[in-house]
Formats: sequence, structure tokens, C-alpha cells
Amino acid sequence: MTDHNDRFSEKITASSHGVESASENRDGRSEKDAAILPDRRSFLAGVTALFGMLAVSSCSWEEFAQKHFREMTKEELDTTIDRLKTQYKAKYGKDFVVDTEGPIDGTLYGYALDIQRCIGCRRCVYACVEENNQSRDPQIQYIRVLRHKDARMDLEEATIYYDPEEVPEKGYYYMPVQCQHCANAPCTKVCPVQATWTEPDGIVVVDYNWCIGCRYCMAACPYMGRWFNFAEPVIPAEEVNPKTHYLGNRPRMRNVVEKCTFCIQRVRKGLYPACVEVCPVGARKFGNLLDPDSEIRRIMATKRVFRLKEELNTQPKFYYFFAT
Amino acid sequence: MKAIIGIRRVALPVLALGLVWMCLPCVPSVAQTTYQPTYPEITRELSGGLEPKVVPGQEFPVPFKPPPKTITPCRACHGPEKDFPVNYQRKEALLVHTNLQLHHGGVRVWCLDCHHPSVRDYLLPLSDGKPIPFAESYRLCGKCHGTKFRDWRNGIHGKRVGSWDGKKKYYLCVHCHNPHSPKFKPLTPMPPPARPWTPKEKQAKH
Amino acid sequence: MESPGFISRVIKKLLVGPAVYYVWVLFLLCVIGVGIGAYTRQLQHGLIVTGMTSYVSWGFYIGNFTFLVGVAAAAVLLIIPAYLYDFGPIKEIVIVGEALAVSALIMCMLFVTADLGRPDRIWHLLPGLGILNLPSSLLGWDIVVLNGYLFLNLFIPGYLLYYAYNMQEPNWRFIGVFILLSIPWAVSIHTVTAFIYNGLVARPFWNASILAPRFLASAFCSGPALIILVYQLVRKYTRFHVTDEALFKITEFIAVAMALNLFLLGAEFYKELYSNTHHLSPFKYLYLGLHGKGNLVPWIWTASVLNVVAFIIFLIPATRKNFATLNLGCVLIILGIWIEKGIGLILPGFIPSPLGEVWEYVPTTIEVLVAAGIWGTGLLVFTVLMKVIIPIETGDLTKRSAAAA
Repeated sequence: MTDHNDRFSEKITASSHGVESASENRDGRSEKDAAILPDRRSFLAGVTALFGMLAVSSCSWEEFAQKHFREMTKEELDTTIDRLKTQYKAKYGKDFVVDTEGPIDGTLYGYALDIQRCIGCRRCVYACVEENNQSRDPQIQYIRVLRHKDARMDLEEATIYYDPEEVPEKGYYYMPVQCQHCANAPCTKVCPVQATWTEPDGIVVVDYNWCIGCRYCMAACPYMGRWFNFAEPVIPAEEVNPKTHYLGNRPRMRNVVEKCTFCIQRVRKGLYPACVEVCPVGARKFGNLLDPDSEIRRIMATKRVFRLKEELNTQPKFYYFFAT
Repeated sequence: MKAIIGIRRVALPVLALGLVWMCLPCVPSVAQTTYQPTYPEITRELSGGLEPKVVPGQEFPVPFKPPPKTITPCRACHGPEKDFPVNYQRKEALLVHTNLQLHHGGVRVWCLDCHHPSVRDYLLPLSDGKPIPFAESYRLCGKCHGTKFRDWRNGIHGKRVGSWDGKKKYYLCVHCHNPHSPKFKPLTPMPPPARPWTPKEKQAKH
Repeated sequence: MESPGFISRVIKKLLVGPAVYYVWVLFLLCVIGVGIGAYTRQLQHGLIVTGMTSYVSWGFYIGNFTFLVGVAAAAVLLIIPAYLYDFGPIKEIVIVGEALAVSALIMCMLFVTADLGRPDRIWHLLPGLGILNLPSSLLGWDIVVLNGYLFLNLFIPGYLLYYAYNMQEPNWRFIGVFILLSIPWAVSIHTVTAFIYNGLVARPFWNASILAPRFLASAFCSGPALIILVYQLVRKYTRFHVTDEALFKITEFIAVAMALNLFLLGAEFYKELYSNTHHLSPFKYLYLGLHGKGNLVPWIWTASVLNVVAFIIFLIPATRKNFATLNLGCVLIILGIWIEKGIGLILPGFIPSPLGEVWEYVPTTIEVLVAAGIWGTGLLVFTVLMKVIIPIETGDLTKRSAAAA
């Protein structure tokens, strides 16, 4: 595995964000300083009159004044990531990695799901929760597994709350739905502050520190692919995944929107998303749409595929297919 | 034991059919080890040019699913010098292997449709006449399940883990399908999602 | 700019008034205080204290916002006859409508802010400092047009009042440009607000091109109805002169707007019922209940009855010109449109969800209190504006009276 990691780190440094993954010492500011710098020292004492709300949302001045991810210079990004690491360490007691790796050149991610194989066991749902640090309470689960009656694909007749002893059940089939990473994404279009956008490799991401929490994107998404942290997310410290990406699974704060990122922290290192890895029936397929020899392209070439709600012209990069 | 098979070679067409191991218990689990498969020489012309273009050098380990120790090697019992002569007749009540329930292909499939009658540690050969080791059982599977095999080879059927554009591990047919009873076994589903909360202010007190 | 002493005189004006004025202001301040308390709680715990969920992600706040944009836009119904057609009776009183628009706009902005998860990041919307996602985000456009309209409705009356205070004739040629501009602008605030919902393919209930026209039609019912009530209060408690003629002219507008509103609603009903696709589901939820859930059913039928009764009242000249029935009609129409354009428009957009689930929404006490606080703020702003504007308009507060004092 080591050699393959090296291979990817080459790609990563050449990536378009031009941001190396966070290294420790820079700008003459040692790690020690960063640790000592109290997160809350510079509370908004002076401007409380103006932004009293900041005090109650317990957010530091640095966090308040932080720029949009795509507008930060390398130095600003480094400082931000140091701050995040300190913050996460204090909260979860673990040393976090917060990557900022950009897209790999020549990739456009696509996903395929074999609805004939899927047995509705929800292993993907929970693997996703663990990998992506989703709040356990209130519960956030990026993947909803719909159970359809045989010979029907009527969403209003489907349910996600089925709970039998064993799956698959006779007379039903299953269709997991998550963010479809639309090429013509209705959600990014509506965001009033560009806090969500499509990366060059096709992943629709959110800058959790830029989102103002208006939830317009949730109203715009036809797939319920977006989730809102209505309360402070709760993740047991022992379960938290410290390998994170800035635009992906780093712990979120209250009152911002989050979503599936195809496990950006994994796929930009060349790994399969967590849901693909866990699927016991191999119904989940992932790959590079620009590579004619990728699994996803082979599926598109040889199988009958369809996209959910294609009539809306959202152009998802998430394909459902029938393998047999 | 780590070993690598060129995808090119796996992708090479096995135009044949077949079945699987008779001596395996039915636990679909993944072995941690990989192995060095021995490949018979099959010329590329046989492929008919149907398989997709393969990136040169793209390689992946094929995991090995070891047969259970208790009943192997088969030759410990089966062999010309042993007490169990080859019986080509279908027989429902076996003296040994009573734990095996054969639910594969209905009445048409019998032990010796897959297992080699005389070289018991191997499976039946393809057209090259060379018996197939258990470790390469998928080649025999492909003999009957040609379309599934092709899909598996192309990464459409079956499971792969690892790297989407690099090294990956292929799950073999027998990892998920017990060859004697290949239908995928039902699983207990994980808990359903919570229903959206009813507005209660106390819930805010985290 | 203003002559010295203006500010202090205004403050003096605000501090002095009849007993009912003190009671009213005190009441509003209490309501606002409660609202602030509730909002602090929301800030502390997050939006989980509201009834909103991932399924119904907008609720009471956005419903009130939508209604109030309509109220704000309705000022244009006074501006057109007043400034364009020089209709005397309305021209004298148009300034009250503009003050109402200002108050409504302030409430709109407060409602949107209350709905934001991260109000501390509101600066992200400021062009220059943050990123305002134009031209693609309709919410971005809405912020532009609402603030533009707020500016116009502050600037135009402010300019005219300045000259009234100084007892000079304003430069009509100059201010006329802004007055003209305010007419399409009023239409735009409501159109853009409709477009916020209208453009979402995920929500078939909103994704109908009839939405924007319906918005305008209903806005021109509820806003003027509110104005009629306000005028009667103003002329009762102040020396401000409002003729019956002006009020009856406004009722005619309401009758036409209501007719249009009902017609458009009928057109929408026909399309959905006859084609009978899945797009009918939100209508079913709203009017009949869906999968055994129908919290909104009694509300929407109440609203429908109120609107139809009000329409009949405004249609018949006898009831339209009788102040008892006229005021009843106004109240009915305000309540009817508030339900129809508020929760009746927002919630069915989310029910059933795009994946077919039916989860209902009920506002929590906190939401209702915050909303009450915002309404209180709006009314307080309006009261203060009235307290300043009316003496200037009636000539009690001018430069000359300052000199005399």
C-alpha cells in the first residue's frame, strides 16, 4: 500500500488547488504557539454590541473572519487548518488530519449502483456515517435506502423505514439514494454566498465555514441529498474519524449544511468511497468517467443505466443500472 | 504470500463453463492472504478481441480463499489407491460429506460436474485439459456463468476494494457465493433511520 | 442637513403622546423583549428549537417573510394613482403607504435573518466583503431588490418630508425619477420573491409559472387591506386627513386583485386536477390531507372561505362602502392571504418530500414568539415613523413651528 500512497501524493501536489496537505511548521509560527494561542481568547468582546450573536454561538474571531475556501491564500489556509486541528483535538482528543488536496487531473467521478444486486441491508448507510463523521444525534445519514414494491418505482409508495428480520424481502427491491453530484446542480446555483460548488472533478462540496445556513439548497435539491445540522453535531470521540478533508468529513458545526462528497478524503487519494468498500453484494461501483476503461464507463457501455429524475435535467453523475 | 495477476491475463477469455469447489463450507468471508495463481497459457487470439482495453501494468491481487483444513487434501481419501472409487452415478445419500447440501443448478449438476474425478485436489479442466486448482475456481465458474464472469472481470459484477484507479482486490465468486449453495444468503439489515424529531425543546439541550 | 433642533424635536415628539400611545409602545416593547429572549434561545441551541426538519426545512419564518413582501409591494398601488395619475385624495396620503412598506421590509429582513442558521456570517452576503452569488441565486437578487426598495421607500418620503419641513416646493423632476423607478421595483420585489420558490424543479408545488402572477395578485389584496385599516386608525388618532374617496378607490383595487387571485388559483386547480399527476400530491396534502396527515387542511379551507367572503364584500359597492363590512372584509382578506401566502404556500412545497415522504411541520412556541417579536418590531417602526411623518405632513412640525417654539 505504501508505494501506491506515494504515487498519489505526487498527483496531489500537482493538483490545481496548489495546496499541500497541512504541514506543521511554517511562517515561523511553531506548533507550540498554535497550541498555546487560545481559541477563545479573542472572543468578540469588542464587537459584542454589534454581533452579540457571536458570543452565544461561541465562535472565535478567527473563525468569524475566515475567508471563503477558494479565496484563502496558502498561508491563510494553513492558519485555518492549524486552528481547526487545535479545535478538533480539544473536542475529540485526537490528532486530526485536515487535507486540502485538490482534484486529480483528468478525473470526473461517477457512481453506479446496481439496483438488481442491492439487498437493502444499510451497511453503506452506517459505513458512511462513520467515515464522514455525521452527527449521531440529531441523526444525519447521507444515504437513504428506499424500498420499492416490485414492479413499481413510485417514490410516494416507497419507504425508508422498513425493518424486517432479514433482507432482501420478497416482493420488494431497494434503491439507495444519496447526493447525485449533478452536473447541472440545482443546489449550487441557488446558494446566495457560493458556499457550495462543483469541484473540477465533479464533486459537489460545501465550505462549512462559509455556509450561512439559509437552507435554500435543501429546498432546491430533488434528491434530498443535503442535510442541515439543526443542533451541535454529536459524535462519540472514540468513533470520530480523524482522517479528514476540509471540504469533506471534517467535523461540522451547528446550523450549516452538509452532504455526501463521494468521500472526497478517500477518492482524492485514489481509494474507493466507504460505501463501495462496505457493500456486501458489490452493488456499488465508482470510477473516473473520463477513463474509457474505468468500471463506471464499462457499466455505461454494456448495461442499461438510468438516472433518477432525469426529466429534471439535473444530469446526475450517479447512475442506477441493471447488471443482468 | 502476495501475488499479482495482470488484469490482462484474468481478462483473457475463458470460453468455458464450470462449477466450483465441492469441499468448501458456506461462509462467505474474505481471506487476508493472496496467492500466486498458476495460469495456463492461453493465447490472446482466443479472446476474440471482445474484452475492453486494459491499461498496461494495471495489476491487482486476487485474494485466496483457503479450503477448510479438515477435509483437505481431498486426495487423503479420494484416489486410485484409496477406498473410495470414482462413482459417476448421482447419489443423494452420501456416506461422507453429509453436511453438504447441493443447491446448485438443480438435478443437472453433480459433484463431478466440477470436481475432477481422478485428480481430486483440482477442479475439472477447461478445453486446455489442465485441471484447475481451487484457487482459480472462478475460471471454472465462468464456464457456465459466462456473462456473469465477463461482468466480474470488467468490475461490474462482484465486489472490489482498494483503489478506484490503482491496486484493488477482487472478491472471487466463492467469497460471496457458496459453490454448493450459491444463492446469496439474506442478511439482517442495519437499523432504519430515525424519524424526524417532533418539535420538543428539551431535545435542544445537548 | 436638517435644521438644528430637528432631531431633538423629533425625539421630543416621540416621547410625548396620549396615554394610549404609551400603552401601545410599552406593549410592543414587551413583545419585542419576549421575541429577543426566544431568539437568544434559538441562537444558543440551534434551529433544533424550531419545528423545522430536513424534510420541511423552511417554515413559519419564511411564510411570514413571503406575506410581508406582499405588504411591502402593495405600496405601489398607492404610488401609481398618487404620482402617475395625480389622483389627489391618494396623493395626500401615499406617504403612510410608503412608511408601511418600510416597516414591512424591515420585518422581511428580520424574518430572513431569524431563519438563517448562521446570522453571524451574514457579512458573507455583502459584495466586496463576502460573495453575493449573482446572477444565479434568486436569494441574492432578493436581497438586492429588497434593499433597493427599502432605500427608495426611505429616500422618496424622506426627500419630500425634508421639503415639507422646510416648507419648500420639492424638485418634482428629480424625485419623479425615483418615484417612477419605485413602481417596477415594487413589482420586482414580489416577482423575485416568487422566483425564489418558482425556480426550484425539486418542488412541483412552486414550480409553476403562475406562481409569480398569483403572488402579485394576492399581494395587491392583503397589502392595501392593511393600508385601509391603518388609514382609519391614523385619521382617528391624528389630525391627518384621509378622505373616504381615497379609501374607496383602494377597495376597488382590492376587488380587482382578489378577482385575479381567485381566477389564477382556479387556473392552477384546473391544471393540477385535470392532469392528475404526482404534482397533485402537495395540493392533496394542503386541501385534503395526504397519507393520513393534514394539519393544514382546516387552515387552508378557512383561508379559502375568508378570501371568497372578502371578495364578495369588496365586489358589492354597498358593502364595500360601508365601513363596518369594509373593515370586516379587510380583516378577512389579511388573515386569508396570510394563511394562503404564508404557511399555505411554503409548507406544501416540502410535503411530500422529493423522495415521497410525508412529514408535517408545526411551528414551536419559540418560532411563534420570535415571529411575534418581529411583528412587534415592525409595528414599533411604523408607529415611530407615523409619529414623525404625520406632524410634518399636517404642518405641525416645520421649520416655522420650530422658529415659533
